[in-house]
Amino acid sequence: MNATRLASPSALEDFRAQLIKHRQEEKTTITVCSGTGCLACGCEKVSAAMHEALVASHLDTVVELKRTGCHGFCERGPLVVIHPQGIFYQRVKPGDAKLIVDQTIKAGQTVHRLLYTDPQTKQTIMHEADIPFYKKQMRLIFGKNGHMDPTSINDYIALGGYAQVVKALAMKPEEIIQEIIDSGLRGRGGGGYPTGKKWATCRKAKGSPKYVICNADEGDPGAFMDRSLLEGNPHSVIEGMVIGAYAIGSNEGYVYVRNEYPLAVKNLLFAIEAAGELGLLGENILGSGFDFHLVVSRGGGAFVCGESTALMASLEGKTGEPRAKYIHTVESGLWEKPSNLNNVETWANVPVIIEMGAKAYADIGTTNSKGTKVFALTGKVNNTGLVEVPMGITLREILYDIGGGVKGNRNFKAVQTGGPSGGTLIVETSERKIHDSLVAHGDLREDEEALSLLDLPIDFDELTKAGSMMGSGGMIVMDEDSCMVDVAKYFLNFLQEESCGKCLPCREGIRKMLAILTRITDGQGQISDLEELENLSQVIIDTSLCQLGGSAPNPVLSTIRYFRQEYLAHILEKRCPAGLCKALVSHAITENCTGCHACLKSCPTGAIVGTPKQLYSIIQDKCIQCGACYQICQYDAIRRVKRGEGEAIQQRARDLWKPAAKPEPVAAK
Amino acid sequence: MAKVNIKIDGHPIEVEKGSFILEAAKALGISIPTLCYYPHMTPYAACRICAVEIRDGKGWSKIVTACNYPVWDGMEVLTTTPRVLNARRVNLEMLMSQCAPVPVLQELAREFGIDKPRWGTGEDTCILCGLCVRICDEVVGAHALAFSDRGIHRRVATPFDDTSSDCILCGACASVCPTGHITMEDIDQRTVIHRDLTLGPNAAISLPFRQAVPNVPRIDPQRCIHFTTGGCGICSQVCPKECIHYDDVDTFEEIEAGAVIVATGFDNFDPTPLKQYGYGRYANVITAEEFERMNNAAGPTGGHVVLENGQEPRSIAIIHCVGSRDENHHSYCSRVCCMYALKFAHLVKEKTNAEVYQLYIDLRSFGKGYEEFYQRILDEGVNVIRGRGAEVIPSGNRRKDEGPLLVQCEDTLIGRFREIPVDMVILCTALEARRDAKETGRKFNISVGADGWFIEAHPKLAPVSTSTDGIFLAGTCQGAKDIPDTVAQGGAAAAQAMKLLCLGEVLLDAAYAEIDETYCSGCRLCNDLCAYSALEFDEAKKVSRINPALCKACGTCVAACPAGAITGRHFTDDQIYAQIEGMLT
Repeated sequence: MNATRLASPSALEDFRAQLIKHRQEEKTTITVCSGTGCLACGCEKVSAAMHEALVASHLDTVVELKRTGCHGFCERGPLVVIHPQGIFYQRVKPGDAKLIVDQTIKAGQTVHRLLYTDPQTKQTIMHEADIPFYKKQMRLIFGKNGHMDPTSINDYIALGGYAQVVKALAMKPEEIIQEIIDSGLRGRGGGGYPTGKKWATCRKAKGSPKYVICNADEGDPGAFMDRSLLEGNPHSVIEGMVIGAYAIGSNEGYVYVRNEYPLAVKNLLFAIEAAGELGLLGENILGSGFDFHLVVSRGGGAFVCGESTALMASLEGKTGEPRAKYIHTVESGLWEKPSNLNNVETWANVPVIIEMGAKAYADIGTTNSKGTKVFALTGKVNNTGLVEVPMGITLREILYDIGGGVKGNRNFKAVQTGGPSGGTLIVETSERKIHDSLVAHGDLREDEEALSLLDLPIDFDELTKAGSMMGSGGMIVMDEDSCMVDVAKYFLNFLQEESCGKCLPCREGIRKMLAILTRITDGQGQISDLEELENLSQVIIDTSLCQLGGSAPNPVLSTIRYFRQEYLAHILEKRCPAGLCKALVSHAITENCTGCHACLKSCPTGAIVGTPKQLYSIIQDKCIQCGACYQICQYDAIRRVKRGEGEAIQQRARDLWKPAAKPEPVAAK
Repeated sequence: MAKVNIKIDGHPIEVEKGSFILEAAKALGISIPTLCYYPHMTPYAACRICAVEIRDGKGWSKIVTACNYPVWDGMEVLTTTPRVLNARRVNLEMLMSQCAPVPVLQELAREFGIDKPRWGTGEDTCILCGLCVRICDEVVGAHALAFSDRGIHRRVATPFDDTSSDCILCGACASVCPTGHITMEDIDQRTVIHRDLTLGPNAAISLPFRQAVPNVPRIDPQRCIHFTTGGCGICSQVCPKECIHYDDVDTFEEIEAGAVIVATGFDNFDPTPLKQYGYGRYANVITAEEFERMNNAAGPTGGHVVLENGQEPRSIAIIHCVGSRDENHHSYCSRVCCMYALKFAHLVKEKTNAEVYQLYIDLRSFGKGYEEFYQRILDEGVNVIRGRGAEVIPSGNRRKDEGPLLVQCEDTLIGRFREIPVDMVILCTALEARRDAKETGRKFNISVGADGWFIEAHPKLAPVSTSTDGIFLAGTCQGAKDIPDTVAQGGAAAAQAMKLLCLGEVLLDAAYAEIDETYCSGCRLCNDLCAYSALEFDEAKKVSRINPALCKACGTCVAACPAGAITGRHFTDDQIYAQIEGMLT
């Protein structure tokens, strides 16, 4: 069903009413999540199989098959939801399509095998909303994703889309800005600058034309909420930008999106064209006399182009390098004109605020952080995916209630937030089952054991206070197998590669810090290295040109702050408590060995020797510490020990070893 | 412009709003080290060495870069706090760890008391200050340089690391580079020796020549970056007296003069059409003028006689009479070539160990002391061969110790055909009349001969005068001649002119033509006929006038005037008839 250009707000409402009426008459709908996570899991094949199954059953005209945006529960993809019943199937294989059509569509029964089973209660759950992963979430921004085809503007309008544009165009620009100020919305890109204040400054700034820009250059490793929004619901971002442009007094907008997000680019371009055809973008929007043109500009993938001035330089066609921001971009930004840059998620919040009203929105969250925040929950947690939670939720709720706890039989150790510029926070030290060697070497002090940030309320200020930052919302969960020095090294390595190299402290300072960290993980560290790292950090923070450099030491400073003992273990004892730093670790087979020889097959260098059902051992000279045997051993027989102590442990094992009667696997890692 | 008050290290100063801390510090005489700052470009703030601490007096403080941080009222700037000094020092040491100990870094290190940088020194000579990139972008406007890659791999490069066609070889990048990382050869392997060996200097701003009057520099718009790209403008920024005006244009000035000396000189004959000598094709075939330029201590080679590859020549042939004494070009003798060719031989012998061959038709060493000089050259071991150079060809697979050019000639004294292998050939090109001589001649009413030289009033009796009174000739515009002759003729012309000027008035001959304005129809027939430029047209009255001082009373205009308005004084029709009558009676 198509509409011509909508010339007035009432035309939009008529069109919406028509759409809804048309939909109510409609039949069963099978939605297949087509977010990036599910795409990677093969949802395209599922969708095709579903179509075939429908055709085979002659149901393709009666049942609608729809590909939707991301549902967030990427861990369980591909996801299939059947409406109107709301039956939620997870990890659907193409082979399951026929079963679903036969049992659920035709016979009205659920396929139990495909339902979600709560790992705690072992009960199957039929509806999406009842799953613990979703229960604690507040899906203001992502809510519509699962119900609409991102390429269909009709779907969005039927769900109430663009109604906020109508509402906003009836308001005065100052009223809109006041509304945003009252809502307490802060920039979701990481800095947390009050959005309303930014808009007000930009509106007041002298110069014409003014630009509104959407920052979709999401570069943090592990973060993909902006991508999912643009892929799953591009119209919400466009709607936010139209409102913002009207409030600021701009008629031209840009979306700067990474070219590595082809689906996001495709869906966004599609959405802009569709909105333009309906008169929701372009000249004289809904007959209001307000013009707004939106252009998509694709970035080349440099991390630094997420920085506002570098992004604008890149938009201008120059090298994406930051400049000093002593003159703010809201006053002199793109082409030296007032430019208002907000992140994808921030723009998507705008229609929500207009719809809810500032007061209702401000009721969500903490004193200084309002609304919801989308996190990309990844790492060693059971339920990974995109979670949208109200500000002020505790880490415990995210990790346990939503995340479903730690993966495998391990313990939480740390959570890294804010991407490379953020920090690593300690969690659960008091509760963790302390590794044998940690106790033996006295790594943990009394006071450190008590330290846990598990009940830290998550908002802008609390995270900053704890030494990390909100960032764009990456949340990487680490268990006790992660070495904190190695984590810091990983992020610094990323930043060294992604630094633009313009200013000296960032270019050379990160290199120096990385060299020190590498020295530490190679067992060459000295106690003075910690002091040198802190001194370098101070200089880099003080003198870097932009916030890439200014926040680059965060991964190091936060790990030193919370895991100083782990650094000391590396430096003084030449020992990696997590057993990850190859230069400091030896692998040894203990008396737990059952002689299953699984390790032997996994060893890439042939360092493991022995006869089946007898004790195996590792030839220390041949071992490259890859950890493949450690990962595969089901009997906890392989230990990571301090470098050079492997043979002694194996010797002791030879004395103690007894053939096991029938061993039970201890744990899967 | 609004003013704000700030304090730097406790010293109050009032500065313009929007200016940067560094400028204010400079005004106070407080030194802040910089590496990437250049007064005439937008501050870049990449080196961070100019870090200073600013405070608002309420407990807030921040480290900023002095070069690009705009001042605000009440700001307190501290340039020597431990935090600032530590930041500068660590940054400098980090830079030194990658860079070779170039003087600019060593000097800074000395300032900070760094004996041994804690991370040692590196090998790179580029400190990534971006001055070269920015000068090419902002000032020159050629955009031939840019940063390539990012992070620790960042480096300055031309597009695609290729020879950049956008480069205008201005050398601004090399001149601004504080470490000497950029040299002209590095950008482009072209060695500029035999190209562009003009008589003038190569810089865009220069004095016209030494001892020029007035002795002020001028801009050559052909070389000036501002005129070619619209960029640069550095000169106007650095000139404290605001003397640079790009919009100045050539103007025509009218000067009233009692006498004119025409000394327009000569042109050099272009030997390119003489294909047999290979000028323009072989790099080491050059003209006498180019060789002269090479000999100049202030010239492009610093006065050294070198081949295009920079090596010293082992043998040189000097070919006389290129374009002169040649019926295809100029049949006259250029008079100066023989002697300067001998001088060249002398100079080559003095500066190098090269063999010199003179190929002449006749050696004309006619002046005072010239013959003695010729004898001296012979004593110096110069090979003098009587015979015109026939052709210069590449020698092909000759022996290595022989030159790559082969000069063919007939040695008429021994009656043999000879081939002489040489490294360099100098062509003694003819002197020829300036290409605009005819036009100049028309302007001053001077006759031009078949060769293009101006013709004097009388070859023996009036060698510096022309047919027009008060216009004199000096130097080579009248014919090929050497410097002593030119000086002598110049002196004569000056004396002739002075004679007129000292008199202050012109004694008129009683006989001259007169126009009766009542009858003159303004047809201007007479104007073109007058051989002495004595007639001019009065635009206001639309009649012709005769300048009695110039009129020679030849009577041409009198006879030609269709209206009979011109009469020759003392030669009216009545007077002539009366004379005839008197003679007959």
